[in-house]
Amino acid sequence: MRKWAGTLLALWVIAVALIVGFFYSQGSADLRGQDRQPIAFSHQRHAGELQINCLFCHRGADISPAASIPPVYVCMMCHRSLKAQTPETQKLLTYWNNKEPIPWVRLQRLPEFVRFTHQMHLNAGFKCTDCHGQVAQMTSTPRAATFEMGWCIRCHQRNGASKDCFTCHY
Amino acid sequence: MDLKRRDFLKVLGATAAGSLLPGCAGETKKLIPYLLPDEEIVPGVANWYASVCRECEAGCGILVRVMEGRARKVEGNPTHPVNRGKLCARGQASLQGLYNPDRLQGPLQREGARGEGRFKPISWEDGMSRWVSELEKHPGGAVLISRPVPGTLARLFSTFIKEISGRLLFYHPSAERALAAANHRSFGIDLLPEYDLANTTYLLSFGAPFLSDWLSPVHYGFAYGRMRQGRPTVRGRFIQVEPRLSLTAASADRWVPIRPGTEGLLAVGIGQVILQEGRARLAKGDRGRFEKFYSAFSLDQIAAETEVPREGIIRLARGFSEAAAPLAIGGGSAAAQTNGTNTLMAINALNLLVGNLGAPGGIRFLQPVEGFHSAQAHPVSEQALLDLRGFFKKQKRSVLMLYQSNPLYALPSSTRFREVFEDAAFVVSFNSFMDESTALADLILPDHFFLESWGDFLNEGIVPTAGLAQPVVIPRYDTRPVGDLFLSVAKRIGGRMEERLPWIDFRTMLREQWKTFLARRERDKSFEAAWVERLQQGGWWGPEGRLVSVSRRALPDAVEPARFEGDPKEYPFYLSLFESMGLHGGEGANRPWLQELPDPMTSVVWGSWVEINPKTAREYGIQEREIVRVISPYGEIEASVIYFPGNRPDLISIPLGQGHTAYGRYAKGRGVNPLTLLAPMIDPLSGTLATGATRVRIERTGRRGRPVLVDQTGEGTRRHPEGKKGET
Repeated sequence: MRKWAGTLLALWVIAVALIVGFFYSQGSADLRGQDRQPIAFSHQRHAGELQINCLFCHRGADISPAASIPPVYVCMMCHRSLKAQTPETQKLLTYWNNKEPIPWVRLQRLPEFVRFTHQMHLNAGFKCTDCHGQVAQMTSTPRAATFEMGWCIRCHQRNGASKDCFTCHY
Repeated sequence: MDLKRRDFLKVLGATAAGSLLPGCAGETKKLIPYLLPDEEIVPGVANWYASVCRECEAGCGILVRVMEGRARKVEGNPTHPVNRGKLCARGQASLQGLYNPDRLQGPLQREGARGEGRFKPISWEDGMSRWVSELEKHPGGAVLISRPVPGTLARLFSTFIKEISGRLLFYHPSAERALAAANHRSFGIDLLPEYDLANTTYLLSFGAPFLSDWLSPVHYGFAYGRMRQGRPTVRGRFIQVEPRLSLTAASADRWVPIRPGTEGLLAVGIGQVILQEGRARLAKGDRGRFEKFYSAFSLDQIAAETEVPREGIIRLARGFSEAAAPLAIGGGSAAAQTNGTNTLMAINALNLLVGNLGAPGGIRFLQPVEGFHSAQAHPVSEQALLDLRGFFKKQKRSVLMLYQSNPLYALPSSTRFREVFEDAAFVVSFNSFMDESTALADLILPDHFFLESWGDFLNEGIVPTAGLAQPVVIPRYDTRPVGDLFLSVAKRIGGRMEERLPWIDFRTMLREQWKTFLARRERDKSFEAAWVERLQQGGWWGPEGRLVSVSRRALPDAVEPARFEGDPKEYPFYLSLFESMGLHGGEGANRPWLQELPDPMTSVVWGSWVEINPKTAREYGIQEREIVRVISPYGEIEASVIYFPGNRPDLISIPLGQGHTAYGRYAKGRGVNPLTLLAPMIDPLSGTLATGATRVRIERTGRRGRPVLVDQTGEGTRRHPEGKKGET
């Protein structure tokens, strides 16, 4: 009887660990992110092959805390004059013609109690790729780093930035 | 043992897994970009707009933080001379007015009988046509009850109403009409003064709740801080005379719990001692007159009437007259009696005795900003509203219009003000919420909220300023600015009316007003440049205003104890109704932030309560939090008892602001409205409703209430359950 109980307990702990691990990996890596986007947008195509500057689309990055998602209008600046359409660009045209914004799925996320500003980091001389990885080579855009506090602190430490709580939590 | 341990681990595991689930879901799953970029909006970067707060009648300057087209935070404007960057809770909570789920979202027309509360949406075109046709059907019968809107809107209203030979009444319950009347009689000036608290060394306040809701609480709160701590060598002394220990009294060096309605007598007693001891600083011509007036009173009799001992009066008189810069002010509970105006005149006489008019630390009447013609909006008293009853009876065909005023809530039912609504042929409301008065309207044409509107605000008295208000967000609903409505009707009526109000919309009219105003002040700039600069600043204010000289130095006509309704044998208690810090007279009741703002003395939130001295409560065998019935000759209410040692034992106090029967989900049906207890007692000199002039009795119900106190530890107000009598 007692033996059985021990085995059950061990199974339970393993099951919990599996569930926890599953959700944990989901939360931090967003591996399936690409499938969830309404349009299969590729950074490799835009930032890599076409060499478009990050700030052309993410216009807020050097002037605002938020890098911002480009307005549909910005997509259409180029896409309205494209001759050949693929099924994916067709989707973009549909959104534009219906005057609907594209409901992108959020992949990069910080908890509400953290204040991160893109502007400060870019002005301090960091490149987008320092945190977001080589997006120019990625078709999908997973989270390149954990964006957890330890990761932030290590970088702050390496670069001699402030480690005061109120730098980020205020 | 083993089983228990296993259960424990199970629960632990389940909890750990469960706690992770919501973390994965995330609050914002989608990132919705703009379709078209807005040149003025950078996502994540805030714009700050300067404007004027209209949550009370003070008109503080504000800066509103706007992100992605939404107002996020309101702060005080640091350069505005009224509030110098500070802002009170009501100003902070104005966002909950703007984004209130119960805002009226478009024009409505009554369905069914009046007061049934059924409305159906109509188009603006139909609504305006109905309003105009009713105005045309009832020439000379139009009455507009508006909150005071000193500035361009007041000019628009008064021109419009004059042209249709109607009546315009600016009314607000906390307008301190008794103070204006007393200053007019004492000094011959029709302005509110600036009380220079910051430079006072001895402040004697008779009931003026200047730290919570009196005149301009942020301004006086700031000045009070400077009086106490702003000077290196002097800490101003502060005495508060009032029957209930208010927040203001709690900040005083000494609290004098006087018998209600005898504040004027105490002021006379103090004056008498000052004169007798030869400390009066009077002009030669006045001495004889003052001596004759003060010699008619006996100090012992005053001591008996006021219940302030003779030695206490002498001590107050000496402290006051020996101070380098003494100041006596009065308002609040002292003014809320049938002898309110005379009381305030007796307090004014104290200032005359020490000669502090125009002096630093004294009373100063400042010239308001000049250049805005006929833009003042002097509020009327309750009596002027009640006089409408006769007018409506006679007229039988009147159009009643309401702008940001809710007289049906603010006036006690005993005044029978409802008759005005019943006798009106047509009622139009421009209010933003379905309040008690708007619920009886036939037509509702909702105005923009003040954060969506253009406007200006002339601060009278305190510091001469002209605040400029601009819309900080795009209007959320299908509402229209009330100024535009009146101007478009002027166009429809045509003729002389159109000549006098030719502007196409209110913004154009406002700009024209400011154009003439700024042309005289900023000659070296183009109007466009000056206008943009004023918008950025939040208005115009120059150096210190000119002092207005006092033309009269009058003594009160008579000083006698106040009259009370109710036989003292049957109704043994005085009643004190005080404005709650957050809700004020009730306007704040539909803002959840203000509902959950703890009352500073009892820490109660979200409801009504009855404050009783613990000694009295024990005499009646009333437990704390028990529901008690408060009965006056005119009505009764029930609410939970809070022991409050800061009450005189013969006083019952109840906060105002709750007990709405309309006004949205947060206000409706919450708490009780103690105004239903009041007798229609009026201070005859000012026409102000005497809210302290009704006597009450209490009855136990035996039921236990559930007031919500933030301070649940038994500390705070219940630290001294014996309720020691205050020092005098």
